[in-house]
Amino acid sequence: MTDRVARFLEFHRKREYRSDRREVTYPKVEAGRFRQAAADFAETVKAERPVLYKDDLFGFNRSVRNVCDYNIQYELNNFTPDYGWALTNGLESVRQMLIGRREEAPSDRKEFFTGAIEHIDAVYAIADQYREYAREQGNEMLYGALCVVPRLAAADYYQALVFMKLLIYTMRASNVYHVTLGRFDQYMYPFFERSRSGGASREQLAELTQLFFISLNLDTDLYHGVQLGDNGQSMVLGGRTAVCADVYNALSDLIMDCCLELCLIDPKINLRVDHNTPRERYVKGSEMTAKGLGFPQYCNDDVVIPGLVKLGYRYEDACEYAVAACWEFIIPAEGYDIPNIVTMNFPLAVRRATVCSLPQCDTFGQFMMCVKQSVFDFFEQLKIEAAGKRAEFAKTPNPFVSLFLRGCRRSGSDITELGARYNNDGIHGLGIAPAVDALAAIKKMVFDEKEVDKVELIDALQNNFRSYDALRSALLRCPKMGNNDDETNSICDELLNFFATIVNNTPNSAGGVFRAGTGGPQDYVYMAQDVGATADGRLAGQPYPSSFSPSIGVKTDGPLSVIKSFTRFDMTQIINGGPLTLELHSNVFRNHIGVDKVADLVRAFILLKGHQLQLNSVSREKLLDAQAHPEQYPDLIVRVWGWSGYFCELDTAFRNHIIARTEYTV
Amino acid sequence: MRGRIFSVEEFGIFDGDGIRTTVFLKGCPLRCSWCHSPEGQRCETEYLRSPNGCLNCGKCLDAGETAIGRRVLCEASIAACPRNLVRVCGEDVTSEELAARVLKNADILRAVGGGVTFSGGEPTMQYDFLMEMLEILEGKVHRAVETTGYIDEDRFARLLGKTDLVLYDLKLMDGTLHKKYTGVDNAVILANYRRMAKSPLRFITRVPLIPGVTDTEENLDAICAFLGENAVSYVELLPYNRLAGSKYKLCGRQYRPDFDETRTVNIDLEKFERHHIKAVRL
Repeated sequence: MTDRVARFLEFHRKREYRSDRREVTYPKVEAGRFRQAAADFAETVKAERPVLYKDDLFGFNRSVRNVCDYNIQYELNNFTPDYGWALTNGLESVRQMLIGRREEAPSDRKEFFTGAIEHIDAVYAIADQYREYAREQGNEMLYGALCVVPRLAAADYYQALVFMKLLIYTMRASNVYHVTLGRFDQYMYPFFERSRSGGASREQLAELTQLFFISLNLDTDLYHGVQLGDNGQSMVLGGRTAVCADVYNALSDLIMDCCLELCLIDPKINLRVDHNTPRERYVKGSEMTAKGLGFPQYCNDDVVIPGLVKLGYRYEDACEYAVAACWEFIIPAEGYDIPNIVTMNFPLAVRRATVCSLPQCDTFGQFMMCVKQSVFDFFEQLKIEAAGKRAEFAKTPNPFVSLFLRGCRRSGSDITELGARYNNDGIHGLGIAPAVDALAAIKKMVFDEKEVDKVELIDALQNNFRSYDALRSALLRCPKMGNNDDETNSICDELLNFFATIVNNTPNSAGGVFRAGTGGPQDYVYMAQDVGATADGRLAGQPYPSSFSPSIGVKTDGPLSVIKSFTRFDMTQIINGGPLTLELHSNVFRNHIGVDKVADLVRAFILLKGHQLQLNSVSREKLLDAQAHPEQYPDLIVRVWGWSGYFCELDTAFRNHIIARTEYTV
Repeated sequence: MRGRIFSVEEFGIFDGDGIRTTVFLKGCPLRCSWCHSPEGQRCETEYLRSPNGCLNCGKCLDAGETAIGRRVLCEASIAACPRNLVRVCGEDVTSEELAARVLKNADILRAVGGGVTFSGGEPTMQYDFLMEMLEILEGKVHRAVETTGYIDEDRFARLLGKTDLVLYDLKLMDGTLHKKYTGVDNAVILANYRRMAKSPLRFITRVPLIPGVTDTEENLDAICAFLGENAVSYVELLPYNRLAGSKYKLCGRQYRPDFDETRTVNIDLEKFERHHIKAVRL
């Protein structure tokens, strides 16, 4: 990296700038329904002062901690705006178009266009502040770029990056959280190519990219998620087109190299791969994993694309997929799906069936019917919950943000009026492995071997195994998902098939459909806290595994069996998103032999048609030490549930969860 | 035929080409002072108790057996432990069962150019079982055997015809020191090595670097000379790991290395280079 990048990186690492921001009390402005978002953003802009750090080429940093958000009832989140459209058109042509359309619009729609125009005016205001400030500071580069963007289209890579930083800043300050970066290597490529053919060297382009990436990390403490680091800045690289051409390009590769050098949590890289992906790309990915970044996360085009088509996405759109903040598959520019709207708590559904219905069942088959009924009832509840959230969501329109969806743009309608082409709802499938484990234990202990009385088991669960040590020990020794054995495999198939059948393509309240998934974000800790003991031997309140992974504390035969267990189900049926997470000991990566073989392991996962995979390089000793002496590990990065964050900035429950996961060593 | 194993580990990455499924056969004629898998030394089945999370409630021993006047763990101890911390070490399996187990992931192993490695203990301690396993797996998956080389010469010669790769340990060139630190003489080990080097079979030489024992200038010089005599130009070095002693507690034993394990390991890659040998540190 260049000296300038190194200095800027060091500046960020100290994080001292974070204490300089002010807190502001905003006046409460009342504007019309469609003008409120612009009015709030304009207030935020008024309070802001330009902040341009030494070595910073991008600006648009926050000088105020809070934004104006009185009127927000439901924040927009987890979507990928049509950045390419803004970068190639510039906002002035958009503004003129909006003025024209306002004239033609019926009187009750005029306000929508006014809202969008006023929002653009506020964007101009902050951009102009920075332009003048850059001139005063003698920052010729930024000044020059801001003379062009955002009003006009970006002419080169640097201008496009400045425009991007402004757009991200604007979205964040307009109460959109978890705004993702999408297929950055695709929509930025024309600008990158223009600069390259204009004579920019690889070093110069890498320097710009790295300075931009560092600037993406600066304000992330203000980007709220469930935990610090859960900020939605996921980026997707590579992938294939509708005619199966590989689109991983020179920019994709440069980005990989830039991230390898920087070792920062943002952007969080997702690599789209398929059965044709060359081995070198997996090796480069594994080098990144070896650095302990917790990414790339791999998404398998061979599974995701056909899966999305089954859910009704047009094939061309499915080929454009990106990921939301964590792992949910979404369609940039076309979808306003809410892929995390509700969560199916599988262990809870199984526990309910156990407690209520087990005594009446004579066979395991009968009991499975009761479990399915329980899952079905749960889904009925979730549909109502989802409809309630959609109704909340409809209360906070945002015409400016809506412009970044093609469907809304075409029809002149808002996101909340369902102007996007896709308005589907994703249901997380939380705790699949512990639910399957509980069912396998009940099958073996209660029905096959008749070792446990049904009432006794229920009593044990309700008493959290108090004075049932031997029973719990026996339950823990029953087959567990992750060993690719027939018992758990067949139960898993039955459960997931049923889940997929009742959920997929069921209409939601937004004119779209529901999508079944394998994910479980923060809920694997939070929701599990309220669930009593379960028949897999799990004690009350103990966490589930993150997403689609073996239960905590389960000793499996090893990563190959785990991969087999978690790839054998037809994952195209359950494609909302939610990866298998593998923890590998950092020892595995101690030399290039290890890195190469991890690449082989990932490739095997993809060839076996796994849908999504993330890997952590961890060392339990180091994590325990960091738990005890956090001040000594400010830069220790871990993969949490679908994103990478700094270990020491996590709540204790999430730190403990990572420590408790099985690490595979050699 | 039945054999006794103490572990089957997936994702062996330093045990030969590609990703390996490594089968650990129980029993070893050597007693290396630095051995990091003491549970593989004895031929008999043992019961191991993990000290992590142990309540010291004594239920495992109450359920145990009396042997030579003291309580020891047995099969019943496994169910008796409320924390599920007791496990058996030494599982008797038929060759068919074991083959099915290693072949269940053969598709992955083949796809990434990996295979199965028999390790131990010393796998040739269960010679007939090992030979039968190698025969069953022939043509189905790539086979490797990791050995100390301490085995009857005729048997070793037959083994060479049954495997695709040998991982061969060279520890100490001086016979007296070899006897002192491993419990056995090295004459047969060196003789077997010479035979293997003349055969067309692929093999990889591996040297554990134990501080003050095998990493001395004299020993490394002697190893380089010996490799040179046998026209070997590639060697893998396994530096001593301070975690070596961690499993002794599991077996109810104490780790007492007769060398200073705190000394820095001498990883002299250049020495090998001077002898035109490529050395790779694992």
